[in-house]
Amino acid sequence: MNVLKLFLFSYLSTIGFAVLFGIPKNSIIKSGFVGAFGWIAFYFTSKYLDSNIVGTFFASIVVGILGELFARHFKKPATVYIIPGIVPLVPGAGMYYTMLALVRKDFLLAANKGTETFFIAAAISIGIIISTSLSRSINRVKNKT
Amino acid sequence: MDLVEKDRNKAKKLLLLAALTGKTMLRNGAETYRVEDTIERICKSRLGIKYADAFVTPTGIFVSLEYKDEMLSYLIRIKSIKIDLNKIDLVNEFSREFVNSNTPIDKGLEKLRAINNIQGYNKSTKNLFGALACSFFALLFGGSFSDFISTYLVSLAVLFTISKISQYKMTFFINNIIGASIASILSILTVNIGIGHNMDTIIIGSIMSLVPGVPITNALRDTISGDFISGLSRGMEAVFSALAIAFGVGIVLNIYYRGLLQ
Repeated sequence: MNVLKLFLFSYLSTIGFAVLFGIPKNSIIKSGFVGAFGWIAFYFTSKYLDSNIVGTFFASIVVGILGELFARHFKKPATVYIIPGIVPLVPGAGMYYTMLALVRKDFLLAANKGTETFFIAAAISIGIIISTSLSRSINRVKNKT
Repeated sequence: MDLVEKDRNKAKKLLLLAALTGKTMLRNGAETYRVEDTIERICKSRLGIKYADAFVTPTGIFVSLEYKDEMLSYLIRIKSIKIDLNKIDLVNEFSREFVNSNTPIDKGLEKLRAINNIQGYNKSTKNLFGALACSFFALLFGGSFSDFISTYLVSLAVLFTISKISQYKMTFFINNIIGASIASILSILTVNIGIGHNMDTIIIGSIMSLVPGVPITNALRDTISGDFISGLSRGMEAVFSALAIAFGVGIVLNIYYRGLLQ
């Protein structure tokens, strides 16, 4: 039940971001699935491995791979699916908590949260790098044969 | 003689078409490698042109091609980038069709102009959906129903302000500072009035619409494909918008915890 709720919320959230970024009308529904599966991956991995950074890493891999698959299947550029899917993973909360700790002059907590925020951003990047280069090398191999 | 001149004009028009296609893609948020690839494909698709090259950064496009022992080149400066995924898709389709068919160049230019004039979703639809995205995000972060409502109101106000002040063409840095401070002031207000419960969740939800998700993604995708200058400059954009949001929230929170905003 809980997972279903999370799926629904992240689905609707992704759709909102997709419209904000002016997605083509026939891709609105599909783009929601990319973000929702990404968030579910984030939820489970961050819960069982007890780390937001690892969770974000796996989630961005899921978003990247699903985005590339959708892009190939529906003949659209991959950006169309990857951008709305990745936005919910961006560490807005980490930025906020870092600033909150700084304002309260709790510098130890600020360093803690700041490092985590930075590494979450890095994890998003690495996840996208892995999935994009994977799909490109698959493309190259397919084109050769 | 006339025929040679006509052919030369054709080559010039082809160059113009390629550069304008690249401009449309880049201005709507496409990745650098895709823009370069599209420009080269368009240039090489007609008139037996063997050499054509493009150098694209987020702030400018340089194209040059060789036609009958003559070098033609074109430069376009890009000043502002906004995100419109629909146009990226349309131009992508257009370029694929243009390369694989025998459409005359003039007709291609017309089609491109038509794509440029397409109006996407209007501003208020975008803002309403953006606010919806933010408020569902607040729910994902464990907000209650009252947090959902207040995040919706706050982020709607933020998005409307941003789209109003972006008419004055200030930099993204100022826009983000203003947006983030409005988000935190209004969140504090809703909690004080009694609509919202958890201030942290409301602020986090409403700054999600400002967060630099697209620059982060595109910066990295550019860097992997070897466009280091584009990757660096988009990365700087991402870092500075994050800083601006943090400043905006920080200023307001600082005032709030000194007890001046009760």
